[in-house]
Amino acid sequence: MSEGFNPIELMLNASPPVQLVFLILIITSVVSWIIIVQRWLVLSAARKGVFSFEQRFWSGMDLGQLYKEGTQMQQDNLQIVGMENIFRAGFKEFMRLRQQAVDKEAVMEGAQRAMRVAYSREEEKLEKHLPILATIGSVSVYVGLFGTVIGIMNTFLAIASQAQASILVLAPGIAEALLATAIGLFAAIPAVVAYNRYSATLDHVTSSYITFSDEFSSILHRQIHST
Amino acid sequence: MSSESLFVMNNALNNLIIYNGYPFSVVVALTFHTLIFVIIIYLQSATDADTMELVQPTIIKALFIDENPQVVNRQNLERQRIEQQRQRDLEQERQRQAEAERVEQERQQQEAERQRREEEQRQAALREREELERQQAQQRRREQEQREEELQRQAERAEQERLRQREFERQQAQAAAEAAAAEAARNEFELVQSATGLIQQVVQENWSRPPSARNGMRTVLQIRMLPTGELLDVTITQSSGDPAFDRSAETAVYRAAPFSELQSLPISVFNSNFRSLSLIFEPDDLLN
Repeated sequence: MSEGFNPIELMLNASPPVQLVFLILIITSVVSWIIIVQRWLVLSAARKGVFSFEQRFWSGMDLGQLYKEGTQMQQDNLQIVGMENIFRAGFKEFMRLRQQAVDKEAVMEGAQRAMRVAYSREEEKLEKHLPILATIGSVSVYVGLFGTVIGIMNTFLAIASQAQASILVLAPGIAEALLATAIGLFAAIPAVVAYNRYSATLDHVTSSYITFSDEFSSILHRQIHST
Repeated sequence: MSSESLFVMNNALNNLIIYNGYPFSVVVALTFHTLIFVIIIYLQSATDADTMELVQPTIIKALFIDENPQVVNRQNLERQRIEQQRQRDLEQERQRQAEAERVEQERQQQEAERQRREEEQRQAALREREELERQQAQQRRREQEQREEELQRQAERAEQERLRQREFERQQAQAAAEAAAAEAARNEFELVQSATGLIQQVVQENWSRPPSARNGMRTVLQIRMLPTGELLDVTITQSSGDPAFDRSAETAVYRAAPFSELQSLPISVFNSNFRSLSLIFEPDDLLN
């Protein structure tokens, strides 16, 4: 009893069901951190993409020139993210339909549809894995509690089989059980924080996508009706 | 210009999230968890020594030392012995000092005598050359003796030092043996406690008190047992005055026998604690 309560020793000495809980929780924690870091990269790239593309778009550059730059980037094996994809989809469809010289409203409709499709594809890319983060945030606490309950139950069963119950029998079991809740919280807290943060960023980015596609279609509208 | 720099930054980020950044995220997550693991281990190893210090003295052990008259007796004897030893050592030290003083005095006397004799020699030098030589020889011999004495004294001192050292080692060994004995006694105490608790519990379960039982009644039974836990006999050493109550206590013991838990005890523990055992029966939870 004199070696104190080493968390790692407690984990190794725990009963099999509680050890299983520990294992699940540690894996969950690692997975949630993988998602947190990966989403952080993707979402910050999207946010910066919005900013830089808007700058280029409103700098007065010719739209055809902008489109060609994007094609060049694709040829250089660079990924095109977010808003630029929406722009490219709308512009491509607009040019294609205008060359076929169909009715003006049909051209506008086609371009808007293409932008909507591109928008939902982009949104899907950004939202990916976020539900997993939410699930980890809410469930791993319960998994930890499950481990705690099982651990305390085992401890009381062990006491029942002893003639004289002493705190020395009780304490390691309870500590082991509480460790399960601690690890559950350790996995849950970052997941919840990251989920809230990322859904706010997601809202911000997608609303700027929608605004942009509206603005862009109004530009296209102006262009098609001026000629 | 600024749009150009932003464009470049965008490219850098683009390069970072090739494969959507999965390999990078896996590395970061694993590093993070490993770091936490290492920190926990480090903190544990840092605090380990402190916890050991804190946990060492448990209350049960201290209680036991106070309560066991045998150990207390032994400790008292030991303490007395150590005290005597210390006094003996002090006495020896004092004797040695006295001896040293005496020798020193002697040496001084001799020195004075020698000077006096030299004086005489100088006065008698003119008188008697032979006498002088004889005296010189005598002096040399005395010096030789003195030197021998000094050597002897040194040897004696070394001998005493060695003895003291051996005594100290013996005391340390004894202290260690004593600690081991105390540890064994403590284990024995725990065994006895749990066995007593078991017997008490079993007897209590089998005891049905007669309606005539009153608070304040007290029956003491002396039971004798075999190492197998079987009951040899039961005698009433102190009656409660109510025959029915005495009988119920006796019956409870007979019904609870044999105490098979005693089989697992070491025979020495059994012999010293359970061969004959006193059980006290008193109903103190009755309403009237």
